[in-house]
Amino acid sequence: MILLHLVALAVLPILVIGAINRTKSLWAGRKGQPLLQLGYDLVRLVRKRAVYSSVTTFLFRLMPYVLLATSLVSGFIVPILGVRAPIAFPLDFVWFAYVWGLGRVALMLGALDTGSSFEGMGASREATFAALLEPALFLVAGAVCLQTGERSFEGVLLLHADSHLVWLGSVVTLFVIVQVESARMPIDDPTTHLELTMVHEVMILDHSGPELAALQAGSAIKLTVGLGLIATLCNPLVGRAAWPVVAAMNAALCLLLAIAVGTVESLIARLKLRAVPQYILVALIAAGAALLATTFRGGAG
Amino acid sequence: MITPILIASAVLVVGAVLALALPGNRARAAAALASQGVATVLVLSAVVPLLRGGGSIGGSAPWSYPVETISLRVDALSAFFLSWSLPMTFLGTIYAVGYLEPYFARGRNGGPHYALLNITSLAFLIVYSVQNALLFLLGWEIAAVAAWLLVIWDYKSQKIRFAGFNYLVSTHVGLFVLVAAFMLMYAQTGSMDFASFATILAKPSRLRTAAFLLLGVSFALKSAFFPFHTWLPRAHSAAPAHVSALMSGVIHKAGLFAFLRFTLFLEQPEEWMGWGVLTFGALSALFGVLYTSAQRDMKRLLGYSSTENVGIAAMGFGVGYLGMCWHKPTLVALGFGGGLLHLFNHAAFKCLLFYAAGAVYRQTHTVDLERLGGLFRRMPRTGVMFLLGALAISGLPPLNGFVSELVIYSGLLSSAAPSSSGNVALVCAAALLAFVGGVSALSMVRAFGVAFLGQSREPTRSEPHEAPTLMLVPMYAQTVLVVLFGLVPASALAVTRNAAALFGGSSPEVERTLAPLQTATTVLVVVATAIAAVGLWSGRKARRHVTWGCGYTAGNRRMQYTGSSFSAQFASIFAGFLPELRRERLPTEVFPKEHGQIATHHVDAVERRMFEVLGQGEDMVTHASEKIPEQPRFAFAAGLFAILLLVGILVGAAR
Repeated sequence: MILLHLVALAVLPILVIGAINRTKSLWAGRKGQPLLQLGYDLVRLVRKRAVYSSVTTFLFRLMPYVLLATSLVSGFIVPILGVRAPIAFPLDFVWFAYVWGLGRVALMLGALDTGSSFEGMGASREATFAALLEPALFLVAGAVCLQTGERSFEGVLLLHADSHLVWLGSVVTLFVIVQVESARMPIDDPTTHLELTMVHEVMILDHSGPELAALQAGSAIKLTVGLGLIATLCNPLVGRAAWPVVAAMNAALCLLLAIAVGTVESLIARLKLRAVPQYILVALIAAGAALLATTFRGGAG
Repeated sequence: MITPILIASAVLVVGAVLALALPGNRARAAAALASQGVATVLVLSAVVPLLRGGGSIGGSAPWSYPVETISLRVDALSAFFLSWSLPMTFLGTIYAVGYLEPYFARGRNGGPHYALLNITSLAFLIVYSVQNALLFLLGWEIAAVAAWLLVIWDYKSQKIRFAGFNYLVSTHVGLFVLVAAFMLMYAQTGSMDFASFATILAKPSRLRTAAFLLLGVSFALKSAFFPFHTWLPRAHSAAPAHVSALMSGVIHKAGLFAFLRFTLFLEQPEEWMGWGVLTFGALSALFGVLYTSAQRDMKRLLGYSSTENVGIAAMGFGVGYLGMCWHKPTLVALGFGGGLLHLFNHAAFKCLLFYAAGAVYRQTHTVDLERLGGLFRRMPRTGVMFLLGALAISGLPPLNGFVSELVIYSGLLSSAAPSSSGNVALVCAAALLAFVGGVSALSMVRAFGVAFLGQSREPTRSEPHEAPTLMLVPMYAQTVLVVLFGLVPASALAVTRNAAALFGGSSPEVERTLAPLQTATTVLVVVATAIAAVGLWSGRKARRHVTWGCGYTAGNRRMQYTGSSFSAQFASIFAGFLPELRRERLPTEVFPKEHGQIATHHVDAVERRMFEVLGQGEDMVTHASEKIPEQPRFAFAAGLFAILLLVGILVGAAR
């Protein structure tokens, strides 16, 4: 089971990115790149020789690997396959949030190390959005805790559609969190070519070779972990079928969610930067609604 | 027995006298360091068994009126505070020897400064062990005045004298409130012994409520809680780096110690006290961290972050109070254990950060972020340690800040409240703590990134280089604490176990909660090390080139992203709490003949409001007095009536 989890953590990110890109191509009327393109890209980048800016220090080289490590470790804690994750312990979601935080800080430090204004701008935006988003995750986690009585990601496995409002609020909040954290539309356009409007992409402008590979793999894993968590919430089979069936269903749901992300990305323009905090407010309100829904039930029962 | 503590006090006094009397700064430093070293060893030998095994040591001796008996008692709570206060003051003294070197080279006498550092250690021994209110006030006042004198080391600068005076006034306002609380209880019991105060505080009464509020305000002023924090950023940016470090990390923890000491006397706190402490802590954490986000002055920034961190600790204490009300020993252990641990952790990383900021100041003669940059290449050791401290203060794993925050989260998310609305409130507090963590990460990335990364923004007179060894050694020691207690969370918890047990917390549950954290931490460290090793090895043949400038090749150092621009977007969202002060002279003509100028600062909203009231106070009084009819006799009677009313309320509270 643990082995399967690790394999999924290695393979799913490539497929998820492939599915998103294929969806976007189809919406745009193009044939699109191969589904495994990210895998080819990573291999190509790892074999390349890197170029570092002469302003940078060793932190610039170290930080991409810290990001990759935090993404991987966060993948060990989250039940992305709808079954118990390899590492599960009370309050593991707090650990998860702060491990993601560490990865984010690593990315920002790498960006600031170049002394480039563009990258500073990206880091500033990332830090601002992340700080605003942080409470949403905890509100949702608290709601799930109160609803299921389980103080870890196990709670996600127990939460079902029997509590509509909590479930709905959690799904909406997590979807927004994933969009912001992995820099997808409508927060950030991963394919933009204008540095002034970038958030995530601008922070990796100066990275190349193996470091760029680490950053790309790290973001893909982060996205997959987020989508896997939502898939587990949406999976009707969790706890009701044998674990291989649940896992297969979850992987399929994960890819479906990737298609949804691609669809959103094809149909919606990105938000103005000023409007992003308001978009994050949606997540906060959804999370708050989920939390209040728990008292409603508690009061009634 | 208590003997080692008494000997340590005597040694500290002798050391202080020697530091004043000996000729030559080297001999003075040696006297201070030797006496503090001996005192530290003695105190640790006395308190470490208490931390491991519990119980308490004490003794008493007769003294003249009004104290009558000096009774000393060191229990697990005192032992916990003593166990790091003295060693950290010792480290601060080592740092002082290196930091003040340029002043000594100009012939300044360091004796009084060293003596004051000794006296500060002595004040800890008094405050943390006496059981009598008068002696307590004595120790309290010694610590306050010593801190004031330490702050105004550079007393020739008017700005620094003002900052010192500001601190002196604020701390004495706190003292008056404290004296009022003590007098209130003395009036009932006729004794200044803590034991007699305990009889009043044990059962709910109006007097207990009044005393609790007065004590709370006084201790909040001491520990610089919002909105009583206004003296703090000023004092911290004015003082020498080690004094800022000791004040922020160690000396002002006395306020929270005293709060906990009196908490022990409340046999059963009321629920509103718990919610009050929690809310107060949460507000402090929130506003403290908001102010850190936009500061230009690195030491001011660190000062505000003290307000934030004592707030986080107080959130833990609030949870502990609620646990006491609801009779949940686990919640008590989580709340008080987490809060105490956070105080210790804060002392570890805050001293480290202030020491690093001091090293920056020594090399560049400024702590203004907008003038710094690119220091990481010049001062790699200071840089790495500042980074570790910054990550720890943002509560990121695998460092010590995360452990204490996790314990506090654990209390907040335990769904232990009897009512579901109570649980929702606790979850909201957890979400607020998460927000504080996020903003703290923003401020610390900003401080480190702007000062240490990129290129220097202004040409410096001399090329900065690594700090001298005497300044680096205390930083190494603090870094070891930061890393060790992060990598081995169980060890961190062991330090606070007995102190939290005093409040009725039982810890097996807590330890069971935290045991798997060790696995997770190990996995994170191993995976990160492995990936980084492979990655760094594979990138060893890289080439060097310029930073990508979108094709623009004439970029210069002044075009880097500044600290203000980094926080601009965030500050604009919270503009209401972060008033911006602009001084500008913008060019007007199409072809300007003069250079334009613009300078922005984010000032303290509370202080600004306070000064507004003070500045216009005269007008307001005049305005009010105009409304009073022109008969002096009437005004006199009205004033008398108001005073009588006030006295009546106070007397009523004392009943």
